[in-house]
Amino acid sequence: METTVNHIVVVPYILMEPLIAAALIALFLRRRHNIAAVISVLAAALICFRALKLAFTGLRFEGGFEWLRLGDFALSLGVKYDDLAALMLVIVGVVGLCVHVFSLGYLSHDHAKARYFGGLSMFMFSMIGIVLADNIFMMFIFWELVGFSSYLLIGHWHEKQSASDAAKKAFITNRVGDFGFLLGIIWCYYANGTVNFTELAALGDKHALVFSTAIPLLLFCGAVGKSAQLPLQVWLPDAMEGPTPVSALIHAATMVAAGVYMLCRINVLMVPQALNVIMWTGTVTAIYAALCAVTQRDIKKVLAYSTLSQLGYMVAAFGLGSLATDQEGRTMVVAAGVGAAMFHLTTHAFFKALMFLGSGSVIHGCHHEQDIFKMGGLAKKMPLTFATFTIGVAAIIGMPFLAGFFSKDAILYLAYANNRAVFAVLVFTAVLTSFYMVRLWKLTFLGTPRSEASEHAHEGGLTLTAPLVLLAVLSVIGGYTGIYPKVFNGVFELIPEAHGSAHTVIFATSLVVMLVGSGLALTLYNPAVTDSLEQKSPGLFAALVALKNSFDRVYDYYVAKIQQRFAMLLNFLEQIFLAGVIIRGLAGLVGLVGLGARALHVGNLNAYVYWFLFGAVLLWAYATGALAF
Amino acid sequence: MTPELVKVAAAASDNTWAAIFPELMLACVALLLLVAEIVLPKKFHELIPSIAIAGIVGTFIGLLINFQSAWLGAYTFSGLLHHTMGGQIMRAFFLLAALLVCLLGRVSLAKQAMPRIEFFHLVLIITAAMMLLAQSAHFVMLFVALETVTIGFYILVSYFRTSAASLEAGLKYLVMGALSSGMLLFGIVLLYGIAGNPALKAHTAESMNFGSLAIFLAANPHQFLASIGIVLVLAGVAFKIGAFPFQIWIPDVYQGAPTPVTAFLAVASKAAGFAVLLALAGKDGVFASYGWLVTPVLTVLAAATILFGNVAALTQHNVKRLIGLSGVSHAGFLLLGVIAASSPLAAMATGAVYFYLFAYLFASFAVFGVMTHLAGADDSDQDLDHYTGLAKESPFLAAILAIGLGSLAGIPPLAGFMGKLFVFIAAFQAGARWLLVIAVAGVVISIYYYFGWIKAAFFETWTSPVDSPNTPARPARTPVELAAGIALVALALGSLALGFYPGTFGQLLALR
Repeated sequence: METTVNHIVVVPYILMEPLIAAALIALFLRRRHNIAAVISVLAAALICFRALKLAFTGLRFEGGFEWLRLGDFALSLGVKYDDLAALMLVIVGVVGLCVHVFSLGYLSHDHAKARYFGGLSMFMFSMIGIVLADNIFMMFIFWELVGFSSYLLIGHWHEKQSASDAAKKAFITNRVGDFGFLLGIIWCYYANGTVNFTELAALGDKHALVFSTAIPLLLFCGAVGKSAQLPLQVWLPDAMEGPTPVSALIHAATMVAAGVYMLCRINVLMVPQALNVIMWTGTVTAIYAALCAVTQRDIKKVLAYSTLSQLGYMVAAFGLGSLATDQEGRTMVVAAGVGAAMFHLTTHAFFKALMFLGSGSVIHGCHHEQDIFKMGGLAKKMPLTFATFTIGVAAIIGMPFLAGFFSKDAILYLAYANNRAVFAVLVFTAVLTSFYMVRLWKLTFLGTPRSEASEHAHEGGLTLTAPLVLLAVLSVIGGYTGIYPKVFNGVFELIPEAHGSAHTVIFATSLVVMLVGSGLALTLYNPAVTDSLEQKSPGLFAALVALKNSFDRVYDYYVAKIQQRFAMLLNFLEQIFLAGVIIRGLAGLVGLVGLGARALHVGNLNAYVYWFLFGAVLLWAYATGALAF
Repeated sequence: MTPELVKVAAAASDNTWAAIFPELMLACVALLLLVAEIVLPKKFHELIPSIAIAGIVGTFIGLLINFQSAWLGAYTFSGLLHHTMGGQIMRAFFLLAALLVCLLGRVSLAKQAMPRIEFFHLVLIITAAMMLLAQSAHFVMLFVALETVTIGFYILVSYFRTSAASLEAGLKYLVMGALSSGMLLFGIVLLYGIAGNPALKAHTAESMNFGSLAIFLAANPHQFLASIGIVLVLAGVAFKIGAFPFQIWIPDVYQGAPTPVTAFLAVASKAAGFAVLLALAGKDGVFASYGWLVTPVLTVLAAATILFGNVAALTQHNVKRLIGLSGVSHAGFLLLGVIAASSPLAAMATGAVYFYLFAYLFASFAVFGVMTHLAGADDSDQDLDHYTGLAKESPFLAAILAIGLGSLAGIPPLAGFMGKLFVFIAAFQAGARWLLVIAVAGVVISIYYYFGWIKAAFFETWTSPVDSPNTPARPARTPVELAAGIALVALALGSLALGFYPGTFGQLLALR
């Protein structure tokens, strides 16, 4: 018991170190760019070290304290450090450190490096808060904080109009989802009297939990915003305006995965209908994003849509956990969804961060050229980036015995066992995945250079390559659950595993899928300045582009034509009634009284004495009046 | 040996004096300062304020160590003093205020050719008297302590004796203070007389004693003369806290007094008034059985004070008058807490008042600290215009000012917000709904002038008046010394920390 207490003491450190780093940078080091960078990287290294140490000591604990009590209503802050949190914390720590180090090289000449690193540390603080939170309310606080730091970092190059627009878009879109999330938290508190994860689980064990379809669905709204699921996916591709390391950390590995993590945290609240909605949301997002990715020319946009698609996989996996369930088997089968989703989250964090950092290395090497049709031939110029990126691509398309293969198979198996329609969609998505990833890979690295920039491409320094190598290694071995010490068993034992004929079917399917997709891409795309698909089948290409733009069009229409007009009407009413009559009128009235009050203080002592006595008499009169009652 | 001396000796032998050790310590340090001035050569006189500060810090630490004092709950000195947790909290409060006043005093006195030492001497004496006041359980003790405080302030207010404004303020404070003391004394005498009347039930020879008086009042719940006495006593205390209509002295005196003294008046003197008010009007207080009288009187006072303070502050340009009138409105909010504390329904009300006082202390001293650094040679001339461009010239002072004013305005997540929230919740529990509506309206009005001040510091630039371009420019900003800087940072951090996590502090204050 004593050791548990000792370890709770560590938690404030892990949480506060990045905050202190961020505060130091914001307050004192805004112009001392290099010191700021070093402090931020140091904080990230400490987090990584502590996260690993805490995970491998195998101790799990939870505890908290009351933050604010108002009558019966109490808000508490606390830590729940179980296997799930340990795994997520290790991911955040390791990927975070890689990204911090990579940023050192990538932004070495940035004019606002201190602000950037301050933002990164702020993000680390917020993200760790989400991971460690022991109740939904606290999670919400940090949920908003990651949104804020994401806003800061997307808009890092705020001189660019597109970057500041993208930052706003990300923030506002997330607010839409968070509104539902907040309603869900309030409803959950109202229905169950607590928002603490452990207490909720205990209530579930006693069959005292109030189940409703609305609570998990409202909470899922938060995940829809943060994990960019349909229909709130629009912000994530635009968020690529931020610096590439930020895209790797926030918009691929950790923050966008927070939605999935949150779902896994609240799995006790789930009901079959809600899981059904979640499953289909994830599935549709997966296929939609994969279709969009096929037409992209920007290396980061391809990866962004791929992230969306993979997040769809995770959400679908979570939703799939439920379907064959009755009241008895409920918990167990949801847990299978948790296992598959978290497993894919883990491997995806490694290989997607790897590819984003790889793309960062490419962009850095090509002097900020991001169009894949203007690259080519980089395999020779940047051999290390090429090798690691290839591993990343192989992992995501499900090359056997790499990380993505195992986690994707777990999800496909879950779909195969529970819902064949979802299975079919996810398999098709997998074909598309290998298609667009191999397309990206071939156009970027093979053939001959197609532009000035790629002619002169060069490999970056050690800070750029070392994180790539580390993440590449993790992308290779990350799928073998055996390599993880038993400390994450709470999660990994939940991963569904196929046996017998199902095993053969899944294995064969994923092999075929991979070969078909990549074969198509290899034959279709020749290294050229124009898109081969656009040339050979313009109709299909145009349809895909239209599909990609459809959401933005609808939202633009809504904002410009409906919301804007409504806002103008409200503004008109406000000008007339609020500002005109009420505020000006009241302010005038109060000001007048204020002048009167000021006149009272004339400065004449005699007047004061009279006033004083008059006041005493008034009070006395009032008191005797009260006496009469 | 006279009987009195025997008594004193007996008290000494059973160590009763230890119960007021902090007060004795302060008095000794105060005397030490005077001795040091005579004994030490001139070049060491610079060090004497540090002795005062060290004495206060030492006393403060000692008090914290012995916070769970063995005397808790006991009556000492034949029932003159009653040692309670509330008393301990107020002792700490006054020591903290005295410490800050001394720190500001050093900055402010450096700009004047004035004797230094008496200032610190008086601050220490007043602090000791206030600490006794907060623990008094007897009207004689209460009156003597209160007069010690008031007389000390007569001198402090007119301390800058070469300044006409300071002298005028001192005279005004003297006259008004004498008037209010007279009222208070008249009220006490009425209570004493009526409670000693052998024709009435539960009459007592010890009618100055709070306990005996409370028993008498409970036995005679509708005594006419007693009710007049109570109203007069309340009026006397209302002068101390600056409640309407006894606020009339505040703008002139606050403007004329040296800024550290203004801070001392605004925070510690006001808090002393509330400590007395809680002892008198709280639910276990002396006047508890006269709730039918006390509650409506305080309610009218609170409503008028909140509205008047805020509305009058709106049109002020001199920041000392402004902060004085805003302080009037804070007295109104605190009265709301006292009203809640007189009701058995609101358990947290007393704690809420204490919490509010601490939040008010942190925020006010932050603002007064900045004011001290912006004041020129003429201490009474501190205009809102002097704050223009502060954010550019001294971001540190501007940030402290913003936090202090934000906390005074009650902006979350600062301490002032939590203080208001607690007081409002207590008032809600006590059922003072209409007063709450008025209080919220008052908060809305107050944001206007607090933010006008912040706006001047952050968004406006200084232009010399068009009609008289030859008027001297604003007084130069005083550079921030290390000790004052640390104090200001601590105050700002305190405001932030209490706002983010009132937990431990809130629990400590909600003890009683």
